[in-house]
Amino acid sequence: MQSKRISQAIAFTLFKLMSYAVIVILVLILGFIISRGIGVINWEFLTAAPEEGMTKGGIFPAIVGTFYLIIGSSLFSFPIGIMSGIYMNEYATDNKLASFIRIMTNNLSGVPSVVFGLFGMALFVNTLGFGDSILAGSLTLGLLSLPLVIRTTEESLKAIDNSFREGSLALGATKLQTIQKVVLPMAFPNIITGLILSIGRVSGETAPILFTVAAYFLPKLPNSIFDQVMALPYHLYVISTSGTDIESSRAMAYGTAFVLISIILIINILASVLRNYFAKKVKMN
Amino acid sequence: MQVKRFFEKLIEGFLLISGSITSITILLIVIFLFKEASGLFTTPVVEEGYVLAFNKENPIKHLNAYQIKQIFDSEISNWNEVGGKDMPIEVVRLSDLTNYYTEEELGAEFEHIPAKASELTAKTPGIVLFLPKQYVAKKFDGILLDHETIRPGDFFGGKEWYPTSTPSAQFGLLPLILGTFWVSLGAILLALPFGLAVAVYLAEIASMRVRNVLKPLIELLAGIPSVVYGFFGLVVIVPFLQQTFGLPVGETALAGSIILAIMALPTIITVAEDSMRTVPRAMKEASLALGATHWQTIYKVIVPYAKSGIMSAAVLGIGRAIGETMAVLMVTGNAAVIPHTLLEPVRTIPATIAAELGEAPVGSGHYQALFALGAILFLITMIISISVELISKKKYAK
Amino acid sequence: MLTIDAKNVDFYYSEFHALKNINLEVEKNKVVALIGPSGCGKSTFLRLLNRMNDLIDGTRMTGSVLIEGKDIYAPGIRVDELRKEVGMVFQKPNPFPKSIFENVAYGLRVNGISDKNFIEERVVQSIKSAALWDEVKDKLNKSAFALSGGQQQRLCIARTLAISPKVVLMDEPASALDPISTAKIEELIYELKKDYTIMIVTHNMQQASRVSDKTAYFYLGEMIEYDDTIKIFTNPKELSTQNYITGRFG
Ligand SMILES: Nc1ncnc2c1ncn2[C@@H]1O[C@H](COP(=O)(O)OP(=O)(O)O)[C@@H](O)[C@H]1O
Ligand SMILES: [Mg+2]
Repeated sequence: MQSKRISQAIAFTLFKLMSYAVIVILVLILGFIISRGIGVINWEFLTAAPEEGMTKGGIFPAIVGTFYLIIGSSLFSFPIGIMSGIYMNEYATDNKLASFIRIMTNNLSGVPSVVFGLFGMALFVNTLGFGDSILAGSLTLGLLSLPLVIRTTEESLKAIDNSFREGSLALGATKLQTIQKVVLPMAFPNIITGLILSIGRVSGETAPILFTVAAYFLPKLPNSIFDQVMALPYHLYVISTSGTDIESSRAMAYGTAFVLISIILIINILASVLRNYFAKKVKMN
Repeated sequence: MQVKRFFEKLIEGFLLISGSITSITILLIVIFLFKEASGLFTTPVVEEGYVLAFNKENPIKHLNAYQIKQIFDSEISNWNEVGGKDMPIEVVRLSDLTNYYTEEELGAEFEHIPAKASELTAKTPGIVLFLPKQYVAKKFDGILLDHETIRPGDFFGGKEWYPTSTPSAQFGLLPLILGTFWVSLGAILLALPFGLAVAVYLAEIASMRVRNVLKPLIELLAGIPSVVYGFFGLVVIVPFLQQTFGLPVGETALAGSIILAIMALPTIITVAEDSMRTVPRAMKEASLALGATHWQTIYKVIVPYAKSGIMSAAVLGIGRAIGETMAVLMVTGNAAVIPHTLLEPVRTIPATIAAELGEAPVGSGHYQALFALGAILFLITMIISISVELISKKKYAK
Repeated sequence: MLTIDAKNVDFYYSEFHALKNINLEVEKNKVVALIGPSGCGKSTFLRLLNRMNDLIDGTRMTGSVLIEGKDIYAPGIRVDELRKEVGMVFQKPNPFPKSIFENVAYGLRVNGISDKNFIEERVVQSIKSAALWDEVKDKLNKSAFALSGGQQQRLCIARTLAISPKVVLMDEPASALDPISTAKIEELIYELKKDYTIMIVTHNMQQASRVSDKTAYFYLGEMIEYDDTIKIFTNPKELSTQNYITGRFG
């Protein structure tokens, strides 16, 4: 009976080693970008426009562009996604329509980002005539992040025990009042954390903005939602693959990658801080 | 009271509309993608604004895109190779007319080109003449190939992707779909064993403390943008492969597979781990109570019980790999040739769209071909989503 | 030699003191019933005997438990081997999502037995011992999930018997079953006593009195009284025991 113990020891050791290998690789990627990029970061890099064929200067227009795209897409996806989530969980719990919508939402979340790019170009840029613009890019990104927002909302609502709803209804509140006054406030912490994480997704997407908004090089800031902008992920792509002088723009590329990772890091930390904060608040009450 | 009820109904209506937006989006994606894509098959096989002309006696009435390309590349030199008479093919482009006529004969303003082109076609039995439409004489003495359109066979069965080649652009899907296939296959073969190992480790073996560190880290990595992974691949993996294997270029299918594997890992790990965590405690205890070791319990009870979740994890990982664009675009070299090994440059469907859409004039055959690629990508991911749906619905089989 | 001998057992879930100084001896081929109100520690005690509590983080035990004279908490003891000696039947039937045959063969296979004939013989014999043979003999390859709850529970018993344990632990094995299935399980316990030492947790006083030779009454983590079943039910020493069995609380 020694053999089954030996095989357990072998298997567990192997799994542990493989797991640590994966973790080491992932940490290496982060560490590599951070260690190469952090030295590039200074005030000028964050506040100046690219210069000399994007080998010098900064990435300010790209930061601003990404910021606008985050705002724009959130303005679209948050309200619609939250309403959709409310509908799914509160109004259409288990009929055919709901399960159809749910399947469609899942399907949409599996659509590759480049297909969103194609679609955004065909619909917003060409058919609706928005041109390459913040508007077209935001709508495309908004659609892309919609399934995430919906699912977050739905799951947050699902976590609220039914007794709270029944309690409110039993006091004569209407369904809408119950949702508004009881359910949503309770689900709010989870929804907010989910929304913050969805911003992370939007800030790093490249393929959807490639043909809907992103400018190769545009040092001036946009005046309206019909202007093009630079964006961080596209900028990183451009300077690492097709700049005029790839070698001398490497430093800029490391810096840009560092900024992108920092955004994700900040968003994740913010989300977990919020989660802990709300969890504590609930405990105290 | 009446107002209040009306208001409630109104809100509910709004909610329903919001709820249906994802379905509407899918519908619109289908409409736009397939509308543009189907335009491809009404696009002339010969470059826009040009015609091909043959001698009247030539029995050939149709040529497909690939045949035209081969003829003009001199890979086909006899009409019998494309189903005609045994007769050498004589390729003539507009600029070649000076080999047959002097400049005076063609006219100072080239005003005689239409007549001469017609004459040359009439007297040369083996000719194929590539001519701008404006130079086609009213009474042209020959056969004009001007209604021929790109056929589904040219696209689905085409072995070459040269969207800008003349006189006939090549929109062959095969190299791209094989490129996508090889890169994704490599990725999943790398990612699956590691992903499942980590999932088992996190779900069953690791202590609470280790888990609490690793889980957030893996979630964090799921959020890193694909350009950043691509950039890492470009500056680290590509040079590494080039040196290790002594390759002319490091941008290869393998580089793409490695990066995609890394990117697919968080998805695979999370989904597989979650499914192993849903295995009822009672199952696990029953196995241990019968004297099974922990490892025996894992592979004889937990993994089979979580089978559908693990399969979903694999399929979602594949989906992620197939649809990934930027990282692949940056590290695979993008040569649109059918690859023979993983150490050659390849080009995937998403990378092709991303790389070429900017240059393709709206409404052109090239533009439509890229939408056709998008439609195929969309179909593949739909199939994947639906199979995940079916897999996760299916309860454990007897 | 005693089959089970628990000495000065204390058990903690992190801070919570779940068992307090338990001393309990069981002779070979006896059936012992553990009774007491919910949360008094019956399951906890039962799970100590095959070290199932090892699976729960933050637990701690002091004292010793000897099974056939061997300290099962001594260093170097292999839990998987211990659990082969001390089988367990759970409160809710928990067959594996495998065929009926494979469920019973599982314990043999994981213990390194691969002789086909032996396995088959043993499976059939165990199913017979669990009084399930007539009901499943034609569908051994069907999923165990196709059986009724009572059949599933007897299958779980068969599965336990197949590895020939010396002790069988049963944690409220009939509480999730209908009265007819319950009666069958009780009959079965009576049969099994010839070959096994059995410890059974039950909430059902009649059941305890019908099937057991000895009964232990637990209350708030303490073992209040342990004696012959007849004595416990007719003439308990402690007032608390009397209150419980007469249904005044619990
Ligand atoms: N995993 C656990 N963690 C913490 N406390 C537990 C755990 N399991 C049981 N307990 C506590 O230990 C006490 C005894 O539980 P248990 O042995 O299951 O009681 P019984 O089986 O007699 O109903 C109860 O108060 C219960 O709340
Ligand atoms: Mg219990």
